Amino acid sequence: MISIPSTEKRWARRLGNALATPFTPEDYLALFNPLHSARETRARVRQVVRETDRAVTLQLQPNRLWRGHRAGQHVLLGVEINGVRRQRCFSLSSAPSDPYPCVSIKANGQGGVSDHLVRHARAGDLLVLGEASGDFVLPGPAPERLLLVSAGSGLTPVHSIAKELLASNQELNLVWFHFERRYQDLMLASSLRDLSADPRLDLRVVLSGEPPRAGDLQGRLDEHWLTEQQVDAEERTLLTCGPAGFLDTVIGWHQRHGRAPLLHERFQAAPVSAGHGGRVVFARSGGEMRTDGSVSLLEAAEQAGLKPQHGCRMGICHTCKCQVKRGRVRDLNSGESRELNNEAIRICIHAAEGDVEMDL
Amino acid sequence: MNANAEMIDPVIFERKGTRLTRSQVEAFGAEIQALRDQVMADRGARDARYIRRVVRAQKGFEVAGRGLLFLGVLPPAWLAGTALLSLSKILENMEIGHNVMHAQWDWLGDPALDSSTYDWDNTCPAEQWKHSHNYMHHTYTNVVGKDRDVGYGIMRMSDEQRWNPIYLFQPVYNWVLAGLFQWGVALHDLEVEKVLKGEKSWSEYRRQRRLIMKKVRKQVAKDYLLFPLLAGPFAPWVLAGNLSANLIRNLWSYLIIFCGHFTEDAQMFTEQEIENESRGQWYLRQLLGSSNLEGGPIFHILSGNLSHQIEHHLFPDMPSNRYKEVAPKVREIAERYGLNYNSGRLGRQFGTVLKRIHRLALPGRKADLASA
Repeated sequence: MISIPSTEKRWARRLGNALATPFTPEDYLALFNPLHSARETRARVRQVVRETDRAVTLQLQPNRLWRGHRAGQHVLLGVEINGVRRQRCFSLSSAPSDPYPCVSIKANGQGGVSDHLVRHARAGDLLVLGEASGDFVLPGPAPERLLLVSAGSGLTPVHSIAKELLASNQELNLVWFHFERRYQDLMLASSLRDLSADPRLDLRVVLSGEPPRAGDLQGRLDEHWLTEQQVDAEERTLLTCGPAGFLDTVIGWHQRHGRAPLLHERFQAAPVSAGHGGRVVFARSGGEMRTDGSVSLLEAAEQAGLKPQHGCRMGICHTCKCQVKRGRVRDLNSGESRELNNEAIRICIHAAEGDVEMDL
Repeated sequence: MNANAEMIDPVIFERKGTRLTRSQVEAFGAEIQALRDQVMADRGARDARYIRRVVRAQKGFEVAGRGLLFLGVLPPAWLAGTALLSLSKILENMEIGHNVMHAQWDWLGDPALDSSTYDWDNTCPAEQWKHSHNYMHHTYTNVVGKDRDVGYGIMRMSDEQRWNPIYLFQPVYNWVLAGLFQWGVALHDLEVEKVLKGEKSWSEYRRQRRLIMKKVRKQVAKDYLLFPLLAGPFAPWVLAGNLSANLIRNLWSYLIIFCGHFTEDAQMFTEQEIENESRGQWYLRQLLGSSNLEGGPIFHILSGNLSHQIEHHLFPDMPSNRYKEVAPKVREIAERYGLNYNSGRLGRQFGTVLKRIHRLALPGRKADLASA
């Protein structure tokens, strides 16, 4: 969907940039509409749909930098909480053919982005979007016979995929089991009802916490459940998304029985080890080393023969700021220990606390 | 104090009648550090609102100022346009650019206010400035021979600097520097004198010069070519307005920055003095090497809160809107340890800067003069 700008547009752009240097014309246009930015995809919340008492769907109006998404992909969503921009990844619950991208968010009680958005998001709010990414997408052309298995928030990318498939006029035979505790926890319920009207989809909600309505099921997933419920489960291409333990069960079943491809989406990466000192991996230069808790990441890098940019070596000048891809670090000044995920820190005053992967 | 106590807790600081032992210096440092930790932990929505309001105001002044200059043929519009554009440039360079590049706002997580990507509206490239200013000047503040901001390689601002006949003219070229301050700041980083002495390679010099020229071309094209051309027949008024705004910004930033470290009581240090310096000693040097300016809230904002130079040097990455809140506490701590907290109105402080510039234009040291 990349449009080639005309020559006039390109010249207007160059003139605009030259007049606004060292900023961009968008920095000035943002005076009138904060959605403008040349730096990042921003989105206004068009509508907040209250899904359950603990979940919302946000319908978004992105600025022109938004490049769309494929069904099943996720996006990094940034929101300002108490002045600070916090980010978290969410699967898009809308189909790419929907007029506006949507995310459906369940509060998790951790006081982070999810809780904040569920409690405070209002129409008109400004959010920041990353680029849509993720490999939980169907290769085209989609196989005809699919088995979809989701639980809890794992519903969202699967919903996007199912909706996109059913929007086409392709021959399909979809069987979808979605696991939830009670009906009142179910997100996107009205959309699910609409999708179920399509004879190509057989959707069963599986409840663990209350009796099911006609057509739905009761129970919990275990290693035999899929085989018992669906005669041709082994033959179907399997798409699954849900909490870690749930996924492990599905993947385990597929390893033993599955004869068709498997696609899965994990929401949380496996936890990294924590402790005093640790293993520092230099992602770009390829080296790694063990350090004890008192050695700063800067010193560690230098001992490994690297020459990172640095200045004062005491945390004031910020010359040494460097991206930590993931891992836990300890602030040598305050003693505070923090889990990082693609965040830039001053490496002269932070030490590894567990495995740390640095962009060096 | 007997010799025994002297060995356990020696006097490590002695200046102008104040003597501090090692443990006193460390206690002083711990109090300053505690102050910093307290404020840094409290950063939040209020600070974010503040900097966003300043950015909005600055961008608004910029658009309004440039707009009015297109009508510059009418004298009131020219005056208002020039004033607004000057205001925009001053706010951008001082309260936004300088402070953003100090990483005061990195914690917001906003890429538009991040020290690693921000560039400011003047001829000095951000990358070089962050090295010479954040690292060299802020780490080695007022250490003669280390901090090139002591005289910027062209002026004699400390008794410790060797006299040279060229300094006889510094009372004159001081004013040239004031008028061309942004150019001075840009060229400062080239460290020409180090290249001549062979301490810096010509290839590094050429790389930096290329960067500077690239930025200079863009800045000059914007203010002196494109905006005047866009105004068509009114080009002369736009050009004059842009020139004036840059000049006003230059004079203002010169004034504020020279009052930061060159007032009469601002102290200088030698390289020997900072060998094995502790965090406490570093705080001490920042306090004694800096001087504050007193004034109202607008004055503080227009100075980029460098009117709180002492607080800025103690806490270079603390959001600038917090300096006025910590200033009374810093002053109280300083006075309790018998340390000078150098603060005064702009007129008085700048008067002592001029005195220093004139006195040091002549050979000799203050001590020599006193005894003469």
